[in-house]
Amino acid sequence: MALAGIQIYKLLPQTNCKECGFPTCLAFAMKLAAKQVELSACPYVSDASKKQLAESAAPPIRLITLKAGSEVKAGNEVVMFRHEKSFYNKTGLFIRVKASDPDLAKKVTAADAYKVNYVGMDFSIDGFAIEADGDLTAAVKTIRTVSKRPLILMTKDSALLDSSLSLLAGESALIYAADASNYEPLADLAKKYKAALVVKSDSLDGLADLTKNIQAKGVEDMVLDLGGRNMGEWLARSTQVRKLAIKSNLRALGYPVIAFPCDAKDEGVAAAQAIAKYAGFVVLSEFKPELLYPLLVLRENIYTDPQKPIQVQPGIYEINSPNPESPVLVTTNFSITYFSVANEVEGSGLPAWLVVTDAEGMSVLTAWAAGKFDAERIAKAIKTFDVASKVSKKRIVLPGHVAVLSGELEEELPDWEIRVGPREAVDLPAFMKQALN
Amino acid sequence: MQHTITFTFDDKPITVTVPTNTMLSDAAQLAGLDIGQPCGGQGRCGRCAVQVTDGNVRRRSTLRLSPGDVGQGFALACQSVVEGDVSIYVPPQEKIERRLTTDRVVAEVTVPEGYEYPSDQTVRRIHLELTPPSMDDQTDDWSRLQTALRLQANINKVNVSLGLLQTIGNVLRVGEWNVTAVLEYPLEDLEQPVRLISLQPHHVDEYSPLWGCAIDIGTTTVSVWLVDLVSGQVRAQVAEYNGQIVRGEDVISRIMYANKSGGGQELRQRVLDTINELLETACKRVKAKPEDVVKATIAGNSTMIHLLLGIPASNIRLSPFITAVNHPPLMRAGDVGINIHSQASVDCLPGVASYVGADITAGVLSSGLDVAEDVILFLDVGTNGETVLGNRDWLVTCACSAGPAFEGAGVVNGMRATTGAIEEVWVNSDTFEPTYRVIGGGKPKGICGSGLISLLSEAFITGIIDKAGNVNLMKSSSRLRDGAHGGEYVVAWGTESESGEDIVLSRVDVDNLLRAKAAIYAGFTVLADTVGIPLESVSKVLIGGSFGKYINVEKAVQIGLLPDMPWEQFDFLGNTSVRGAYYALLDWRKRDQITEIAKRMTYIELSADNSFYEAFTSALFLPHTDMSKFPSVASALER
Amino acid sequence: MPIEIPKDKWPGSIKIVTIGATSAEGGTRTKSISVGGQASMPYLHYEAPMPNKPVIAIEIKSRKPDDWSPLLVEAWGETMAEPAQWAKKADEAGADIIVVALTLADSPEDAVRVVKSVLSATGLPLIVWGPGQVEKDNELLVPVSEATNGEKIVLGICEDKNYRTIVATAMANGHLVQARTPMDVNLSKQLNILISDMGMPKERILMDPTTGALGYGIEYGYSVMERLRLAALQGDAMTQLPMIVTPGYETWKTKESKIGEGVPEGWGDWKARAINWETLTAIALVESGADIVVLRHPESVKRVKGAIEELVTV
Repeated sequence: MALAGIQIYKLLPQTNCKECGFPTCLAFAMKLAAKQVELSACPYVSDASKKQLAESAAPPIRLITLKAGSEVKAGNEVVMFRHEKSFYNKTGLFIRVKASDPDLAKKVTAADAYKVNYVGMDFSIDGFAIEADGDLTAAVKTIRTVSKRPLILMTKDSALLDSSLSLLAGESALIYAADASNYEPLADLAKKYKAALVVKSDSLDGLADLTKNIQAKGVEDMVLDLGGRNMGEWLARSTQVRKLAIKSNLRALGYPVIAFPCDAKDEGVAAAQAIAKYAGFVVLSEFKPELLYPLLVLRENIYTDPQKPIQVQPGIYEINSPNPESPVLVTTNFSITYFSVANEVEGSGLPAWLVVTDAEGMSVLTAWAAGKFDAERIAKAIKTFDVASKVSKKRIVLPGHVAVLSGELEEELPDWEIRVGPREAVDLPAFMKQALN
Repeated sequence: MQHTITFTFDDKPITVTVPTNTMLSDAAQLAGLDIGQPCGGQGRCGRCAVQVTDGNVRRRSTLRLSPGDVGQGFALACQSVVEGDVSIYVPPQEKIERRLTTDRVVAEVTVPEGYEYPSDQTVRRIHLELTPPSMDDQTDDWSRLQTALRLQANINKVNVSLGLLQTIGNVLRVGEWNVTAVLEYPLEDLEQPVRLISLQPHHVDEYSPLWGCAIDIGTTTVSVWLVDLVSGQVRAQVAEYNGQIVRGEDVISRIMYANKSGGGQELRQRVLDTINELLETACKRVKAKPEDVVKATIAGNSTMIHLLLGIPASNIRLSPFITAVNHPPLMRAGDVGINIHSQASVDCLPGVASYVGADITAGVLSSGLDVAEDVILFLDVGTNGETVLGNRDWLVTCACSAGPAFEGAGVVNGMRATTGAIEEVWVNSDTFEPTYRVIGGGKPKGICGSGLISLLSEAFITGIIDKAGNVNLMKSSSRLRDGAHGGEYVVAWGTESESGEDIVLSRVDVDNLLRAKAAIYAGFTVLADTVGIPLESVSKVLIGGSFGKYINVEKAVQIGLLPDMPWEQFDFLGNTSVRGAYYALLDWRKRDQITEIAKRMTYIELSADNSFYEAFTSALFLPHTDMSKFPSVASALER
Repeated sequence: MPIEIPKDKWPGSIKIVTIGATSAEGGTRTKSISVGGQASMPYLHYEAPMPNKPVIAIEIKSRKPDDWSPLLVEAWGETMAEPAQWAKKADEAGADIIVVALTLADSPEDAVRVVKSVLSATGLPLIVWGPGQVEKDNELLVPVSEATNGEKIVLGICEDKNYRTIVATAMANGHLVQARTPMDVNLSKQLNILISDMGMPKERILMDPTTGALGYGIEYGYSVMERLRLAALQGDAMTQLPMIVTPGYETWKTKESKIGEGVPEGWGDWKARAINWETLTAIALVESGADIVVLRHPESVKRVKGAIEELVTV
């Protein structure tokens, strides 16, 4: 279990020597607790303490890295719910292809090239899962001519695996899958080629037995296939495995999970559940941007660090169908600030343009205090969002809390009328009715 | 069955006959006695306490009475029923007021135990008798003085300023070679020379005061204590709003203002003016002159210290929030601009970080938290709500912006805790009529911090405002009305107030108070959470702040400013910052201790994640969104 | 190796809220719908049985909206002009509940007429939303509430600024309320407290924690819902209410759903993407504890219903 700052502090020398770069041992302890610093930064920590701290810091779910020209990681998760800390390693999205497919190269090329932008980030798929319904070795060769992404090799034929893996020198592929009948040869191959190995069983008992046996053969990197006949059963198993790993510290199930929505009744729905509910890898039936894009966005949303301030997208928002005469209100992109302003105005029925500036997710006062909401930034937002093209009446309403900015803003935006609005959003409707007419 | 009740009021006995189960308060009314029931006979306020001197009554509730009170026969008239013949003593009202078990008296100032002048003091007054010069002894005046210091005071090295050097010859001769020197001994390094602060002709009375001052520069309030360094006694305490307040209520606005051209200079001058006026007032009170003050120790948050010294403070506000200086070196009053003896040392106490300044290190010193065995929580209820948690092994601290509401600023009818301030309010839960107490007893001018706490709590408990702070205009009372900022409650009509204007609690005031209390509550809960200490394991809660003489703990708990803990665990220390400065002014060991405290404290940045915001919105409710954290308030609401 | 499955035993559970009244219950609905009653995190049947499964409401408007996506217009066609017809088609599309959203253009008489016509067109329970402006909401919802006394309609949307009138009329006429707060656990709790302080029984409050669409802040709504549900199970009475969310409303204003032209190629086929957008948003919310999801497209209704069936099948 993770230790709290004060517990870690008790294991430190308590000399406040500052050599770790922090002003006190307690400050260092809290950074350790937050996993923002390495214990090795302390030159004086005792061996006994070191041992105790290392145990508490060991990740309950093993980090698995699949690697080729690019890499994808799963595991190292520490919580059941994202708000408790964060989900860290985004679910890897793999496209299933068939070795027998005559259009294999073409399909892989298209999927490999897929790139989609979401709020400034480029997303793509993470790799391919090859079903060995034909010549696997040939398929691997073909794929490697058009894609460098990590691979999942789906066959139980160890000879076939051996020849295929031998083509992937220097990579870490994922072998699918070992069960009670075949784990020994597959574990040998995983060891030989430094590949990760999926273990598959229809019960948690079976999975735990397999991981123990395989570990005994010297393979550490494993991934669990939970089976399950429907979404409900899969959800129960995935939740149980996660809880056993991080709450009960059960090492035998402390591995990431792989899901196959491609076999589900409704692939999109099953994939969404897998992303939300702990899957480390997800295999999709084919390359379909209309499903891939929403899944990539969902994955991004679920894996966003919830400790960061809640933000809305900076931009110009229309409230109650504004016209060119409507006032331009300015606020910050802290979500609660945005909501309270937008709701008040929306509720009043009065049309307005709401310009949300990038204040790094801080409220008006905090942002102003931190220098993230000043005349320069507001002017920049007005220009970037081309507000002038939307209005004929160039009139900006500043939040009352930053009335002091009005002079500077007039200098920045000389052809605009700058008005100081109320301090609180509640008073906006009255202000708009009385002062803006 | 009828019973005979004999009331004694004002030494006059009055007898009435009432049936069994008559409420004592009803019997008193029958006797023509007006026993105050500010809370409307709900047993909430304890103002109707009477003493049963003979016979017995059945007490339904003893909420406001300690077991000792009950032992002495005290009973609440509104909560006790007659069951037999009984004699009742009705004490004068003013004696009752302080019978509240929830009240905490703000700690008084006494000279720290064991203070010894001159050994603890860095500034000392020494009488010197110099051998007059002659044609045979043509030693210069300065060397002659140095020789006297060496022989009579064992001082080998002494420094002097040019200004003082210019006056030496005259002083020596006016005093006919008998002079009194005021010297300052080095604080840290004893090898350093002693410094001559002043030289006066003749010998002064050994026991006459040697003046020093302790100053706390708060964002909202500046306090000055004038101290006789010989006896150690505080001889005058004065306070006033910081003159900078017109340029912004919080440190951030001040920093912004200081950035403007000429702004820094103006703010510096404004706070100097405040300090100098306070010094003058204080000196007048003890019939001294400001030039007689030979030492100043200053506590204050980092921004205030920067602005006082004219040091740019802009980096305090900007990430990563770095001060120009946490611990300024010793300076001369003349250089700083404080109108005391120009050679007096000005000692700005060391701070920890941008938002944890010397006000807090001084506060920790005065609270004794740094030497405590058990975990103690120290709250400074001020504009920057600073919190310290810890004991002799570890200290953590954080700061949050609470706003000046509890200092009476930023509230429509708010004021400092001085004469004319309403410091306590009770509201009748049926009629919504208030009863209040004014500091000094005259007409009310406004409401101070403790009055606001008490008022907010009463408004909440009686349903004048809902848990979110909305004034409930559906209640019928002329005191509840629609004001300029939404619903408001009239505490005192213009006919009762000093200004002739109504004194009200407005919606904006409620919001300000809610934010202030939420910020403070959130600050200490997040701090405790961050280090992993449950609040239940805190043995004592020490509270600093510019309150009046009394604070009602129950009210502060009811609004969710303080955690719901047994009342005995709270102590109000008053202004801990100026108190800490006072201790440091007197005793160089205490001064060293503050440096040590500053080194040991670990500052926790609350804005690092969402937890503070979460805790804040959760506390932005009366008393708190999570009622299970306030069981005593839940049961009070049920009553 | 036998694994012992860790099971959380929670002290709290969710209140059961029943919407709509049959003739036996004093109304005219052919059946009422109950939600809530859970004693575990969503669909963990091995910890506690789930007495009521999540249900789907379809949102219709009192007059034909002119700003809805062509995909929705295509799906509902001519019925959109007539709320009663629209409601009937929504009923056929698998709705468990009909949401009637009134508009600013409605007069109190219009509002009453529309709601009554929907009541007679379908036997499903109703949720009625005002247009979202304090004064107009009160103006429309009070007569609707009075005209439908005893039907156990859900009146919405109560927010911290306008809850008093809506709650008062719901209490007087035997209805329920939908209490909305902007994606914040504390604000949700606070509004529930304020509403129940007025005397409204908790069995007649649905909490609406607000959600964002996929890509537009869904993660906040998602976590707020998980946290509210955890708090409820941990015994916090003020969060033990079923949750209603509006993924249909949220997703169909995003350009990913609304628009088919001039969008990046990587977004794929418009219709499939648009429905995925609504469906996936709804699924994520169902996974985080939603009891009622309000949708707009019949295809999404079908898919979400299918997923719920799989999730509740033990």
